[in-house]
Amino acid sequence: MAGGLTLLAGRPVGWAAVSALALALPLGILGAGYGLLTGQGVIRLGVFAPAGLYWLAGFPLARLAQETAAGLTLTGEVVLAGGVAGFLGYQAMVSLGFAIGFVWLHERLMPYWLLRLRGHNPYARELLDRYVAHAEVLRSAAGRRRTRKGARR
Amino acid sequence: MDTSKTPATTETGHVSAAPGQEERVWRAGGLEPMPVRTLPDAPPSVHILGPTVFLVALGVGMGESYMWPRLVLLFGPEIRWLFLIGVTLQAVVMLEMARYAMATGESIFSGAARVFKPLMWFFFVVAILVYIWPGHLSAGAAAFEQITGIPWMVTAVIGLILVGVVFSLAKVIYNLLENVLSILIGTLVLGTAVVAAMVGTWDDVVSTITGMFHFGYFPQEAMTAAWFPVIVGACAFAGPSGMQQMWYTLHLRDSGAGMGAHIPTIRGLRHAGEEEAMPSRGFMFDTDDPREMAKWRGWRRWVTFDALLLFWGITMLVTISFTVIAQAAVRQDPAVRTAVQGDDREVALSAMADSVSSAGSSVLGTIFLGFIALIGLNATLGLFDSFSRGQADMTHNFVPGAKKVKLSHLYAGFLWGVIIFGILILLFGPADGPSGILDTLAFLSTFAMGAYCVTLLLVNNRMLPKPIRPRWWTNLIIGFGAFFYLGMLFYSLFAFGVVVG
Repeated sequence: MAGGLTLLAGRPVGWAAVSALALALPLGILGAGYGLLTGQGVIRLGVFAPAGLYWLAGFPLARLAQETAAGLTLTGEVVLAGGVAGFLGYQAMVSLGFAIGFVWLHERLMPYWLLRLRGHNPYARELLDRYVAHAEVLRSAAGRRRTRKGARR
Repeated sequence: MDTSKTPATTETGHVSAAPGQEERVWRAGGLEPMPVRTLPDAPPSVHILGPTVFLVALGVGMGESYMWPRLVLLFGPEIRWLFLIGVTLQAVVMLEMARYAMATGESIFSGAARVFKPLMWFFFVVAILVYIWPGHLSAGAAAFEQITGIPWMVTAVIGLILVGVVFSLAKVIYNLLENVLSILIGTLVLGTAVVAAMVGTWDDVVSTITGMFHFGYFPQEAMTAAWFPVIVGACAFAGPSGMQQMWYTLHLRDSGAGMGAHIPTIRGLRHAGEEEAMPSRGFMFDTDDPREMAKWRGWRRWVTFDALLLFWGITMLVTISFTVIAQAAVRQDPAVRTAVQGDDREVALSAMADSVSSAGSSVLGTIFLGFIALIGLNATLGLFDSFSRGQADMTHNFVPGAKKVKLSHLYAGFLWGVIIFGILILLFGPADGPSGILDTLAFLSTFAMGAYCVTLLLVNNRMLPKPIRPRWWTNLIIGFGAFFYLGMLFYSLFAFGVVVG
């Protein structure tokens, strides 16, 4: 998105590309890590808290990596607003918004992507099965709760 | 439950009772009674996706991205206590709108008609007066022009036609729109967080958040003819404005929430032939049955989660991000403060974008304008669908002879009507509406918010069975809402002679 907008705007590409790449790379790696953890069942699907915690740690680290890489490449020095602690604290606070947007997009887009991949990718098939199983578990758990409530009356 | 044994009319195939059984009905107001049907099971209360996306898409607009950041720059973050009240009030309104829609499968417009039919016609007329003007397209299209150089008029006209074509081709419009808006809102939330992370500081976010708790803060300069109407407008635009909450009841119904599961969904024009017969009224569940009431509580938990986490939380997050971006912009370039003091929204947004660029990277300013364009796209998609949905619902149910036409055809008629009118106005007329009636339109938009609070009180307390009526404290909050919107509106009118800025 950033790259496309930059080109449309006719802005200098070099500076923006370094900055965008320095953020996109760690975020991409962390996003892939999130996918792996959901595939292994470490992170539960369909709920926010695990994703919130994951990005609470991950997002500040990704931003730190970006500031360090972009700073060293472009100006030869790294300047963090508020010092390392202040910088990381602020990024951790903002990570909440990032996590909600991420989960919303992930839950909406990932199943469709997995549907496309499942034919030739066993990991994608496995993760898609996890999504389906998760939906079924939630549905049956809600059914059991209602049955127990009915029985108590 | 106060049901009678009077057989309900069975003119549609959906509502007939089992052979040999008399139909139990719930009588509400002077309109056709609602047959009693089973309430579907509620989904798990903790969820991530749902019909709230429509309200978020409509609610996160110019109020969050421009009006409130502007007020923060002018009066300090302490002014945000009014935003907190506005958005919290809207979350409660959302819960109460959902109460009637989920209990009956009817829109709030039908509920209003059950109380007093002219009340519904009032909203029908206000919707046409306020929402046929394509002015809401201009901010997003202007931002897109700044990014690409494509004249905003061209973008706006192409956007209008695309919206019409896409909605006409969709099989079920709700499903398509929920998917598209979810992706757009997700991108907006994630993107604004990234930009705020790059340009803001710890102090910005702390002052933005703590500012929300300075209840009663009101600087002297805000009590002037120049700024009080602007604050009234910003309060009305904190979250969904105008009639957007009323339209949410239609989205809730189409999502199959509560008794909405018994009502067919609206289809695109191309698939209108597949539409099932639309019942002429909603349904009620048996509120004397403990199992049904348990399911009802499940639905209430589900919508409460929607209102508090998804609606309130996301609206808050986006506006905090935009406020942080605005504060960073002023820190970088104090001239931005002068720009936002003026009335020209495009100039102010452009100044903020330039300043954000210099604070972070040149691309950040472009992305900032991209978000404004994205917000414009969300608003256009949401408003056109909602307007057509609401008008089609009222026409189908209350205009004599309209039931002969499928609801999907009525929807398409209103949709293409507003699109063609919009294109003509963009090309030949004033986009926001004739200048002579601008004040009236602004007045009506805010007045409708006070009016729907009163309508909600009447509908939920008189048209629903006692076990599912709102509690006293909820009524108190909705009553406060009516006082809040109407009080500020009329105070501004009588004290300063200006309605909404």
